[in-house]
Amino acid sequence: MPTMSGVVTIAQESRFQLTDEKGVSHLFLLSPHALAEDDDLEPLQREQARVRVTYEPARNILGYRARRIERI
Amino acid sequence: MDNVFHMHPRAAEHHQSSLDRVIPNESELTAGVRIEPGKSYGFFTDTTVCIGCKACEVACKEWNNLPADNLGLSGQSFDNTGALSANTWRHVAFVEKSGAGGVRAQEQQPFQSGWLMMSDVCKHCHHAPCMEACPTGALFKTEFDTVVVQQDICNGCGYCVPACPFGVVEVSKLDGKAHKCTLCYDRLKGGLEPACAKSCPTDSIQFGEVSDLQGRARRRVADLHARGVPQAYLYGTPGAPGATGGMSHLNAFFLLIDRPEVYNLPSAPSRPSRRVAPSLFSGLAAVAGLTLAAALLFSDAERRA
Repeated sequence: MPTMSGVVTIAQESRFQLTDEKGVSHLFLLSPHALAEDDDLEPLQREQARVRVTYEPARNILGYRARRIERI
Repeated sequence: MDNVFHMHPRAAEHHQSSLDRVIPNESELTAGVRIEPGKSYGFFTDTTVCIGCKACEVACKEWNNLPADNLGLSGQSFDNTGALSANTWRHVAFVEKSGAGGVRAQEQQPFQSGWLMMSDVCKHCHHAPCMEACPTGALFKTEFDTVVVQQDICNGCGYCVPACPFGVVEVSKLDGKAHKCTLCYDRLKGGLEPACAKSCPTDSIQFGEVSDLQGRARRRVADLHARGVPQAYLYGTPGAPGATGGMSHLNAFFLLIDRPEVYNLPSAPSRPSRRVAPSLFSGLAAVAGLTLAAALLFSDAERRA
């Protein structure tokens, strides 16, 4: 699965925006199979922590489904 | 000077365009209402002034970080979102009205006689059927009398989906949880007007205390009647269409100028919970009837033997 690194800049429910090294923002939805909960996203956003997201494409939306999110 | 005269008194405190902090109780400046817990807030959507710009849809998606969905052309006139869904919490409906024989009229009356546009949203019902159906308590009434799904409690059972008479709630196939408009719960807590109402350029979507909005809406209907639009009526206010079947009233209500079905709204929505007792008793009556019939048949057969 592809991965992307960056900073969580917005967190809303299970959705979050990841801004990568080039300053481009991407929208992710947390998969129910991910080892993270919605409540884990807000601290990451507040701390502006660098994370790596493993994701897969999502059908019929402009966004990705995050399967794994980890601090780097 | 006219502008200054009509300006909210507090607006003079914030004359600079770049602010170093959030304006406290900003909704006073933008919607003329101070947001306080314990009061009932909602939307009054006046469809006669909706221009179909979709600023509300965009503002909702921007604030709530919702992804664009239904990519591609729908083929349904200017409507590319299609319906309310887990990713679309505001939907602008475009209804083209044609004259006799399906031909467009050559002359049109004022106030959207040819095109009907309406920004649909969760109605935040006073007696919310989705909340009544939720087995985990994920759906709850906030301190602002709005209905919100708590994502960490929702187990994705989907009972709220058929319970909603307006087809608002949807379980997302991506995260397996129910999603719908929160009436910008996070913004209300910060003293901000909901994003859709703030972005509406014609004030078709008005935010405020429900009792104030209802009074404003009644005056608008009277005004439209006086201006030669006798078909204008309210949908979702107490005693009006949309507030039927034990719904009491809708916190997000509408001013319409055609039948509700034309706008894809039910003419007489009702709470499914009201059908539980009749369903239960009819089921018990059917079981009792079948038992009695079986008993009669068996006793007759035994007598013959």
